Amino acid sequence: MSVLEMTDVRKVYRSGDIDIVALDHATLQVEHGEIVALLGPSGSGKTTLLSIAGGLLTPTEGTVVVNGNDITDHDAKELTGFRRENIGFVFQSVNLVPFLNAEENLLVVDELGGGKGDKAAKARARGLLDELGLGHRAKNMPAQLSGGERQRVAIGRALFNNPKLVLFDEPTSALDTKIGAQVMELIHSEMKARDTAAIIVTHDRRMTEYADRTVEIVDGRLGAAGLQTAAH
Amino acid sequence: MFLAFHEMRRAKVRFGLLTGAVGLLVFLILFQQTLLTGLVNQFIGALKNQSGEVLVYNGQARKNLEGSIILAQQAAEIAAIDGVADAAPLGEATFTVTAGGDERDTVIFGYELGRTGAPTTLIEGRLPATDNEAVASEKDRADGYDIGDVVQVLPDGVQITVVGIARDINFSVAPVLFVDFATFESAKRTRNPDATTILPSAIAIHVADGASPEAVADAINAQVEGVQALTRQQAVDGAPGVKSVRDSFRVILALFYLVVPLVTGLFFLIVTFQKASALTLLRAIGAPAKLLVRGLLVQVVIVTALGSLVAFGLYAAALQGVKNLGVHVEVATSVYTSLVVLALALVTSLVAIRRVLRIDPIAATTGAGVHL
Ligand SMILES: Nc1ncnc2c1ncn2[C@@H]1O[C@H](COP(=O)(O)OP(=O)(O)OP(=O)(O)O)[C@@H](O)[C@H]1O
Ligand SMILES: [Mg+2]
Repeated sequence: MSVLEMTDVRKVYRSGDIDIVALDHATLQVEHGEIVALLGPSGSGKTTLLSIAGGLLTPTEGTVVVNGNDITDHDAKELTGFRRENIGFVFQSVNLVPFLNAEENLLVVDELGGGKGDKAAKARARGLLDELGLGHRAKNMPAQLSGGERQRVAIGRALFNNPKLVLFDEPTSALDTKIGAQVMELIHSEMKARDTAAIIVTHDRRMTEYADRTVEIVDGRLGAAGLQTAAH
Repeated sequence: MFLAFHEMRRAKVRFGLLTGAVGLLVFLILFQQTLLTGLVNQFIGALKNQSGEVLVYNGQARKNLEGSIILAQQAAEIAAIDGVADAAPLGEATFTVTAGGDERDTVIFGYELGRTGAPTTLIEGRLPATDNEAVASEKDRADGYDIGDVVQVLPDGVQITVVGIARDINFSVAPVLFVDFATFESAKRTRNPDATTILPSAIAIHVADGASPEAVADAINAQVEGVQALTRQQAVDGAPGVKSVRDSFRVILALFYLVVPLVTGLFFLIVTFQKASALTLLRAIGAPAKLLVRGLLVQVVIVTALGSLVAFGLYAAALQGVKNLGVHVEVATSVYTSLVVLALALVTSLVAIRRVLRIDPIAATTGAGVHL
């Protein structure tokens, strides 16, 4: 079963009197455990596609099925629950709650799901941070962490709930090349270790080497590679 | 909750300052309310804390005891009204006396011992049992009105011994002595030796079992010429000065009641703006709006509750410092006040709540934070 099936998705933004077609007949399938790089220039519709796949936006047309759930007609409240339970997010800029330390930024996921941040949850947060090489930073506040460390905490937060699909929107754009490569390395190994599917948005072709398959997007249209799975 | 508590813990100074500000403002409200009660009690404590449920004044007195006399004929008619169990003369006049070695103005209330019109808030000693004995106000103890002190009406008049102390029985902001009506008569004669009969200022009525003071007052007003019957509460509220004191305090109090919730409402609105990007992120990763709103409400409740505690502490300490104003800690009023402040603060936090509810999680993808 595919983790994500987007079929003929169209997204039109109305801005004043003009319609902006951000996505046009986008069809994309992501298999279990597969890492897909979504490559395209600025304004090509990458974030829009990612947002629709993650239930942050609803498409104007087309269908979106995640883990067998058709979320096309979900309302805002249903989408909130859907995101919480099925998707891990790593955003481009703001990824951490500034008044929570690294560990708490992971535990917040537990609270959002109705958990009490009990021993098991704490142990899980610690384990993840250790795995991400941040065990010694667990009690640090986001302001005390470097950009790379912050993105690693965000990866831990995205993985905390064991989602089947994690969405990364330019996770390394704010980092220098070396740290960016390390973070991509980490993303790759974490996804593979958990057999978790991911879409990684980037406009940097070098980043595609960490993916199983690369899908190009230009002016809201996906390249042909969207349908086939690369033999990686 | 986790979120709300962690946020407060990490921003102690900010939330501490707000709590302190709320505490000070609530303290000012409590203190002013108590001052108002104290001040009003100094105007009319003697009326409020005497046993007559209905007071009958002269119809031309305009609710002012000082300018009222009741004729014997009227007194007899009043006593005959249905529902009147006891109608006793009550005399009131201001005298110059020596007390504690100084000359002072003192209001003397004369009532018939054992009948209606006696002070009801005795806290020490006893009521007068004979001529020339008096109950004085707790507030004036230190000024020569304590038990055992002798007060002399000038010039060269009766000597009155204080035998009991009652709480809140001042009148027109002067010391008060409750004495036997006969003692009141002698005091009057000191000033006016030729007076033939000394008329009472008012009639204090004890209503019969089952009769309501309002109904009895109405019956008297309808059936007796030239008098005005008031329930005790009406007499208190209508006494000269009381209304204007209350009105001016109320304006100030109303302002304070507005300021506290405005301060908290504005604070939480600013805080919500400042953490907009964090709230957006939380919404994006699946936080129900309800959960974020609940966290905000919890913070409002915590801040007002802690602020109220600060206020209670300041209030209790401040009242210790102004004991001579005749003020007392009003527990029920304090609790009531903090509940009102809490309710108002919750109302003004609706503006911040509205902001939280308007957060669009999609904004997390742009890092813009929030659409304002
Ligand atoms: N809320 C919106 N209202 C109107 N137009 C929008 C809105 N969001 C995006 N667009 C437009 O849709 C198109 C696709 O935007 P999108 O953010 O998906 O691009 P992107 O590929 O993520 O770009 P970047 O690499 O700069 O992040 C752009 O032309 C953009 O201007
Ligand atoms: Mg983008």
